[in-house]
Amino acid sequence: MEELNVKQEGEDRRDRRGGGGGNRNNNNRKRRNDDEEDGHYDRRGPPQQRRRYNDGPPRRHYPEAPLPKLRRMFLNIASQVVLPQAETIQMAKDLGDNFDDAELRSHIFDILIQLIIEQPFKIPFLAAVIFYGNDVKSEIVTETLKRVSARTQDALNAGQWTEFKLMLRFLACLQGVYEDTGIFVFLGQLFDTVVDLQSANENDVVGIEIVKIILLTIPYALVAGGERFHEQAAELLKNTGIVASNVLPMEGLIHSYVRDSAETPISYLSIIALLQTQLSNEAESGWTFACIPHFNANAMRMTNDEESLPSAPQMHAFPTLTIPSPVNPGPKPLFPEAYFSLFADQDIETVPKTTDVAASLIRDAVVDTIDQMDFNREVVAKFLVDIDNYWSQGTFAKRGIAFDKFRELGGKVAWKSEDMVIDAIFSQLLKLPSPEHKLVYYHSLITQSCKVAPAAIAPSLGRAIRCLYRSLHIMDLELVNRFLDWFSHHLSNFEFRWRWTEWLEDLHLSNLHPKKAFIIAALDKEIRLSFAKRIRSTVPEDMHPLIPERLDEDNSPDFKYENPETPFAAEGQTLLVQLRKKASADDTQETINSIHEKAVQLGIADPLVPSTDAFVTAICRLGAKSLSHVLSCIERGKERLLQIAETSPAARRQIVASVVEYWKDQPGVAVRIIDILLNYTILAPITVVQWVFGDHMGAGEALTESWVYEMVANTVNKVTKRNRQIALARLQKGLPQEQVEMVDTTLTKDRDASRELFKYIEDAVNGVAEGACDQLIEKESNGELSAQSAELIRAWGKRWHTVFVRKAAVEESVVGEEAVETRIKLLAAEPEPAPDPMQVEINGVAKIEANGDDERY
Amino acid sequence: MPAVRSTIERLDKPSSYATAKVGSAECSRRPRGRNDDGEPSPEPEDKLKDATTLYVGNLSFYTTEEQIHELFSKCGEIKRLVMGLDRFQKTPCGFCFVEYYTHQDALDCMKYIGGTKLDERVIRTDLDEGFAEGRQYGRGKSGGQVRDEYRNEYDPGRGGFGRALDDYGDERDYR
Repeated sequence: MEELNVKQEGEDRRDRRGGGGGNRNNNNRKRRNDDEEDGHYDRRGPPQQRRRYNDGPPRRHYPEAPLPKLRRMFLNIASQVVLPQAETIQMAKDLGDNFDDAELRSHIFDILIQLIIEQPFKIPFLAAVIFYGNDVKSEIVTETLKRVSARTQDALNAGQWTEFKLMLRFLACLQGVYEDTGIFVFLGQLFDTVVDLQSANENDVVGIEIVKIILLTIPYALVAGGERFHEQAAELLKNTGIVASNVLPMEGLIHSYVRDSAETPISYLSIIALLQTQLSNEAESGWTFACIPHFNANAMRMTNDEESLPSAPQMHAFPTLTIPSPVNPGPKPLFPEAYFSLFADQDIETVPKTTDVAASLIRDAVVDTIDQMDFNREVVAKFLVDIDNYWSQGTFAKRGIAFDKFRELGGKVAWKSEDMVIDAIFSQLLKLPSPEHKLVYYHSLITQSCKVAPAAIAPSLGRAIRCLYRSLHIMDLELVNRFLDWFSHHLSNFEFRWRWTEWLEDLHLSNLHPKKAFIIAALDKEIRLSFAKRIRSTVPEDMHPLIPERLDEDNSPDFKYENPETPFAAEGQTLLVQLRKKASADDTQETINSIHEKAVQLGIADPLVPSTDAFVTAICRLGAKSLSHVLSCIERGKERLLQIAETSPAARRQIVASVVEYWKDQPGVAVRIIDILLNYTILAPITVVQWVFGDHMGAGEALTESWVYEMVANTVNKVTKRNRQIALARLQKGLPQEQVEMVDTTLTKDRDASRELFKYIEDAVNGVAEGACDQLIEKESNGELSAQSAELIRAWGKRWHTVFVRKAAVEESVVGEEAVETRIKLLAAEPEPAPDPMQVEINGVAKIEANGDDERY
Repeated sequence: MPAVRSTIERLDKPSSYATAKVGSAECSRRPRGRNDDGEPSPEPEDKLKDATTLYVGNLSFYTTEEQIHELFSKCGEIKRLVMGLDRFQKTPCGFCFVEYYTHQDALDCMKYIGGTKLDERVIRTDLDEGFAEGRQYGRGKSGGQVRDEYRNEYDPGRGGFGRALDDYGDERDYR
């Protein structure tokens, strides 16, 4: 029954939007009008009225039962742009009136806690209800503190830092009802823990996470508690300064842009250092925190004429929370975080300046809203579009206001909500080393936001794309590839519409230039999601030469052995026939022997190389129809391929070479086939990497091709993923000794293999970066490459180097000896009955149960 | 602690169709005495609780395996991809099964890919109990999906008008 109701809430929300969507047509002007109308509608009508209107008559005739009514009000709190003071007071009264109903109480507190965790925007409003509740019935606060602190403690014990932060924020918003200094004593204890952690380990990241939480809690406590706590806040801030200004080695590796570039659009800002500065600035201006909704603490007393109200409000002790020792770092690896923004500190202020604490406060709440509700992007998009409902009135300009109009606004400070939202989503899409969820979540969220408010969001998105494109040449290479992947995927959801003409002037650039390389790669990625003819029809004619003509004919790539000029043409053709007819191994061997004989006569050093080329090319040709086809062909040739790989290093690299050559116009297919070959362990990861950097890289030109990056990154990812699974398997509680030994042996072996892989990549690309690569020197000195081209290549080398040095460091911090040892110790220190946040399967396949998975069904 | 409900609907729940199908399969098996020891049969949703396979619908007949791979591998490595083929023509008929290595990847796919576009069509994803060799899915008399037999509107991505209409047209021509 309850489930049904909760679901209804969700559906109602969607219906409201969906209804609007259904009325829309493809006419943009109409859409804009609709958007504005929606905006007005939201502002004017209280949600109750709308709901009644939508839900039809039955409910109207009966007075709503207290539980459904309160639940509805809690779930829909703050759904208008004005401060819901009257609404929260009414809720407090209703809650007080029905507080004796144990079932209602329990349900409402369940919802309250779940709302805090899932919908962080609503925390100040929920706290206001409870705050006003204190005047109605002080038991409301007593019970709330009991329930919320229990959950806060659970989150702290489990190292669920986001949940902990949000629960703590709620408690901070009740600062007005605590005795003495309230939450500040606990914040002080948290800081003491940070000091302990930092003195035990100078590279500690858990302490940094806790400092971030402290700094993000202070503003809410001050808004709720008022002036009398300014001193405590200042004291705490003085202490956090040392930690916040500390720079960890890992921070050097997570810069979004090349470090020494003068053109960097935003310099590196550590989140906690930034918060520290912003809070100090805010202290100077009197701790106003203007963007946080301010409720009038006396509002209830002023409106209420009942004499039953006690003369002085009941004060409560801040609940007891115990910081576990040792602190549980939680199930997810932690890293220092950088603040990233596309729109901050520009000429026209559409988002808060980085010196303004609002930048961090709003960003933090938006990011949590995005990450905590990844299970329904439709609702998240709606929340983001409605962001102005959840902050002080006047924080944001009217929705959908054009950027140009903003320019005219001049001095008045009100931010553009769409820019804030897009900025926040991109900060996650481009977060290093990695965001909370899979990248595709952020793709789909952007798509959804565009669907919810196309006229308002699209222009902000366009500015974001242009901003990123302008800085492509200095952007971290991993981020360039994320941007590329998102861009092509996004366009595939919107009829591949993009104003390519803007970039036509870059077509004359050398293919080695990052912008040109981006355009080439974007077209390839678009084609992969669609087909060549379609993509050709969406781009200006000047770009047509970038799409190989052959792709327009919907057929398989040529089989080079059909050309009699090709060496070993006859044998190649025979092999194809034999493969098709599933000839015996002996017959096939005969053909291969014939290649070997001829190769020896021709003086080819390793005759297995040409025979492998013929065999693998024949597999590609026979399997050209689809991935399933090539899969079954590989299956057919598996024994021989494994044998080749064992016999000769040159021949096993030839397997990669032949696949790539056959699919040269569709490198995406080659990348997939290599992936399949890795899964069959026909290819070892190091073989792929050796082919890329040993055979294919040339003077470094190949480093500009995005599919080469993709192939290397995929290969590395396969290795690191496996290592993490092994490490997780090791971290099971109560693993039998013989399994411990087995897992340890595997881990040691695979860890070394992965280090070797990283080392190989780093050395190779560093050679290019430093200009020490032989071929690069040769081509530059004989004039084959201009000085300018050589410079471009060296820059690519540098960017590759940064990415793989970072990836290696990240892996060390997760599966390195020290990291695993620390985890094992923590595991041993864990009390027996504590639920293990990680569920692990032994056979090397481990799963990390994501945050809050227990809520799934 | 009992499972906590979310404050909003989740997009990674199986559809009522998937639950009903798993449920009915469960019922039909019960008389054969699989649960002799009195163990309660798992709830339909429980059977899908480790599902790693997704049914993907509303594909164009022209969408290739490569395109599907390109999109769906954004949610995790794909273990197997099975294209739904027309029983007679052996050509794609607008649906497929994507199998991942982990349940989490399948759920993420429901959340992040279901309802987005592939080949410029909004595709539908649903958790599935898994592809079994020889399994017959709801394909109709025409050999294609039943939904294409009763479709009234013209859909160039799915073979034009509904097949049943075509058949009807044929019959009329004979007379």
